[in-house]
Amino acid sequence: MNLLQDAKNWVRARSIHVAYVDVGSCNGCDIEVLACLAPRYDIEQYGILVHNNPREADILLVVGAMTPQWIDKLPALWAKIPAPKAAIAIGNCPISGCVYNRRETYILGPVSKYIPIAAEVPGCPPRPTEILSAVLSVAPTVFRDYEVKRP
Amino acid sequence: MKKVVDVSIPLGPVHPCWKEPARVKCETRGEKVLAAEVELGYMKKGIERIMKGRPWQEVLFLAERVCGICSVIHNMVFIEGMEAVSGIAVPDRAAYLRVIVNELDRIQSHLLANFSFCYTIEHETLAMYLLNTRERAMDCLERITGARVNKAFMIPGGVRFDLRDNDRAALLTDLDWIQNEVDRYTRMFDTGPLIATRTKGVGILTQEQARIARAVGPTARASGIAEDVRLAHPTYRKLNFAPLVRMEGDNHARIMLRFGEIFQSIGLIHRCLSDLPEGPIRGGGTCGAGETVSRGEAPRGELSYFILSDEYGRIVDIAIRTPSIMNIDACTHFMLPGVTSLADVTSVFVSADPCIACNER
Repeated sequence: MNLLQDAKNWVRARSIHVAYVDVGSCNGCDIEVLACLAPRYDIEQYGILVHNNPREADILLVVGAMTPQWIDKLPALWAKIPAPKAAIAIGNCPISGCVYNRRETYILGPVSKYIPIAAEVPGCPPRPTEILSAVLSVAPTVFRDYEVKRP
Repeated sequence: MKKVVDVSIPLGPVHPCWKEPARVKCETRGEKVLAAEVELGYMKKGIERIMKGRPWQEVLFLAERVCGICSVIHNMVFIEGMEAVSGIAVPDRAAYLRVIVNELDRIQSHLLANFSFCYTIEHETLAMYLLNTRERAMDCLERITGARVNKAFMIPGGVRFDLRDNDRAALLTDLDWIQNEVDRYTRMFDTGPLIATRTKGVGILTQEQARIARAVGPTARASGIAEDVRLAHPTYRKLNFAPLVRMEGDNHARIMLRFGEIFQSIGLIHRCLSDLPEGPIRGGGTCGAGETVSRGEAPRGELSYFILSDEYGRIVDIAIRTPSIMNIDACTHFMLPGVTSLADVTSVFVSADPCIACNER
């Protein structure tokens, strides 16, 4: 069992499937997530694979300030992701609403009201390297000994 | 939509090919798309409502957060509007620096649009080359303005930073590199036989249809409409700007036109750098009361801001019209119906370069 757990820990730290969902951003964080795909950052050397299919994902990157349309859709999307899973909030918007969190706004943040957020990367927008290091540091921590920790 | 068809296929709002949430419903018979309908509203944040009653110093930052891909042009159009209502003159050097940053922004936006298209037709090699080239353009922007995405480079009466000599040298080196690389990829895209089967004759928008749908920007110019708001801009007039036009109106024409505009932008930046006058970069001034419509050419087409401000420079009323809404309309009404394979629906939609975030604000 222990050996199997070690093998799972090792594999899960090196094979991270990422999906991203935009819940009302300005596109700034969105394109910085896309820029991570560029050969300059070379995310596949760390075993990260970005494909937008929640049913195959381990990590969900949440971008944007939580518009009313997403209140039912984001928890539904989160439920589709198989465990073990983690959500990372990218940018200021999912954390605080950034510039949109003012009088007369439509947004209903923060995102952590609707799904559990494992890590937050502040910035407007954060640099691709910051997003990359957040994914790389969250995945092994959250997924480590998942079967042992599971209630 | 009336049900007269086999299957109604919804695509989105979360879809692997689309960066932003939008829902396209296709009425199909077999693989052929008979009609399409787009559903928006997943990104509505109410930016115009937040802007009202706030001083221009705050609206400046809200304006560039309308769209993260083309943030420079939102900044530029808003600031030019504020300058027009308050009678602030811009120093020549600042006007040229604005054009340099705007054209760099256009280069990175077009590279991103073409990346998305190549990624959508599953030509991942070319897509990754283009995305890597875009990082060099982002480096140039970061060196000049100090930030990658939301720059707030332009302020009423000038720009924030001057172009330093070592940045100028690095900009020239990077532009040459980008030109060489994009030239190679343009030839790859133009002559690739498999790319041709996915792009030539797919998603045709004729000139008449483009006029009916009020298509703007590269989408209209690829259908033979020579319209570009840069023609009316004083600084671009000094640079002898003339828009590029293609007649085919299909996916291939739209992507090739964007490649062409990248070379055009590089040429404009070179001309700006050689003509760059010496002098101050900030003229100063006070924002005041007035009402104006300010227009500018975003990477996706014509962008206009209606601004009404009071004597303290506060925004009383503001209305933004972004280019993507017309292009999305042209896409769903004219490009998508008649597409012979459902696999082409995503590529046709992406070829119009829809920006949902600036569309819904």
